[in-house]
Amino acid sequence: MGAHISIPMYQRAVKQRYRLVGLKCSNCGQIIFPPKAGCKSCGALDNFTEVQLSGRGKIYSYTVIAGAGAPPEFSEEAAYRGAYPVVLVELEEGPRIIAQLTEPVPAEIKIGMPVEMVLRQIYTEEDVIRYGYKFKVLEGEK
Amino acid sequence: MRRVAIIGAGQTPYGDFPELGVKELFAMAFKEAIESVDKGIAPHEIQQAFIGSLSAGSGFQLGQLAPLLMGHVGLPNVPAVRVENACASGGFALYNAINAVASGQCDVALAAGVEKMRDVSSTKAKYWLGISGDTEFERLAGLTFAGIYAIIARRYMEEYGLTREQLAKVAVKNHYHGKMNPKAQFRQEITVETVLKGAPVADPFTVWDCSPTSDGAAVVLLCSEDRVKEFTDHPVFIIGYGIGSDYLALQDRDSITSFKATRQASTRAYRMAGITPKEIDFAEVHDCFTIAEILAYGDLGFGEKGEVIRLLEEGETYLGGRLPVNVSGGLKSKGHPIGATGCGQAYEVFNQLLGRAKNPERQIKNAEVGLSHNVGGSGGTAAVFIYRREG
Repeated sequence: MGAHISIPMYQRAVKQRYRLVGLKCSNCGQIIFPPKAGCKSCGALDNFTEVQLSGRGKIYSYTVIAGAGAPPEFSEEAAYRGAYPVVLVELEEGPRIIAQLTEPVPAEIKIGMPVEMVLRQIYTEEDVIRYGYKFKVLEGEK
Repeated sequence: MRRVAIIGAGQTPYGDFPELGVKELFAMAFKEAIESVDKGIAPHEIQQAFIGSLSAGSGFQLGQLAPLLMGHVGLPNVPAVRVENACASGGFALYNAINAVASGQCDVALAAGVEKMRDVSSTKAKYWLGISGDTEFERLAGLTFAGIYAIIARRYMEEYGLTREQLAKVAVKNHYHGKMNPKAQFRQEITVETVLKGAPVADPFTVWDCSPTSDGAAVVLLCSEDRVKEFTDHPVFIIGYGIGSDYLALQDRDSITSFKATRQASTRAYRMAGITPKEIDFAEVHDCFTIAEILAYGDLGFGEKGEVIRLLEEGETYLGGRLPVNVSGGLKSKGHPIGATGCGQAYEVFNQLLGRAKNPERQIKNAEVGLSHNVGGSGGTAAVFIYRREG
């Protein structure tokens, strides 16, 4: 099975995957992540500046991928964890992003739980470890 | 623009056919479509062909699939093109074919869809099926298609109080319908308990919330109004149609409990037809996962978002109800050969409107206006068609 995301394709988005670097539209102030060529709010095609997102947010929705249902490149992860949670996070700056929830996973995942970005190994393809963002639930906060 | 009618349609059974490839599947549906034309039609009357397919044959991505298939049925010189919009490939093939006739480019056009999904290992199927979202970001979170719809379902449950049992009732209804359809892949009734106790796929879904992988093909023959009488006295006119698009990734959308692409497509279709959702007698909607049918009820205007679950609870979307939905069994029970689905829905609507549902127990009585709804991926694209029997 070939890689579904090649190393060059992966490398182009390292800033986003490692550090959550987004764009801010100088025209209307919209924060955009992942970066796009056109602003989703005002349609501007230029005058964007890079912004560092805080990595803090709340769970907007979630699922738990069962071991047998995992995509091939995540089968090792599924075999190891049995099943793994994936969350849609609403960041405090506005954009929503999809990522896995890292250990320790709370017994019950709830919409609205505060989370924070952490850098983790995502999977291995073409013998290269792909790092990227996951989120961990912030304990004791509401 | 000219008015366009369906004069014939054919569809293979959906399921697992080890001895049939894409060519054979297409040829089966093609032959039935030709033979379904009341006054007969010579194949060479077809002037253009639009064929929907995602994988173009087991995920091997053959180029120029459409002329290959047309050559296989003896029509190598009919201008043909493959149309791809993930699970809405068939719907967009139909859209293009209607426009070719409506615009005067041709008088008779073929719209089709075909998919051969069962030839490949489940690993490979998951590999290519997972790429119709925003691969760079959604897939890198380890998400599958079921996972994306599961995230939609969890949010819908949170915002509107939809319960797990209610979600299961979509599958129960569509299996009840599918049992009566001789061309359905899964012809067995199930209960809410079956769904809840099924193998987990992506919380809250079990395997019974998900449409299967299927082989199948469907072919629809379209004709301009001025030539309809040459072929049939019982045409089914496409009185309204529309398409829509949205960001592919859920993370980029403002709302994930509604598909803007479907709303866009249905608004255009209703406006063109000059009717309201209340005038629809029955519908074939895109229920790739149970939550997708719930979304469709709201986005097609069958009821207010959040309230629509009552349609299911009160049996209104069952055969015999006020607005039967997915009497074919839907993607859930009839099967979902990706590229074929949109044209297979048109096949069902065409036959229901003409009283040709084959099995009398599954025939909708006195229906005049039908609707079909086809979605690409998790709402990146959508196509909606409204049909009326005339004559």
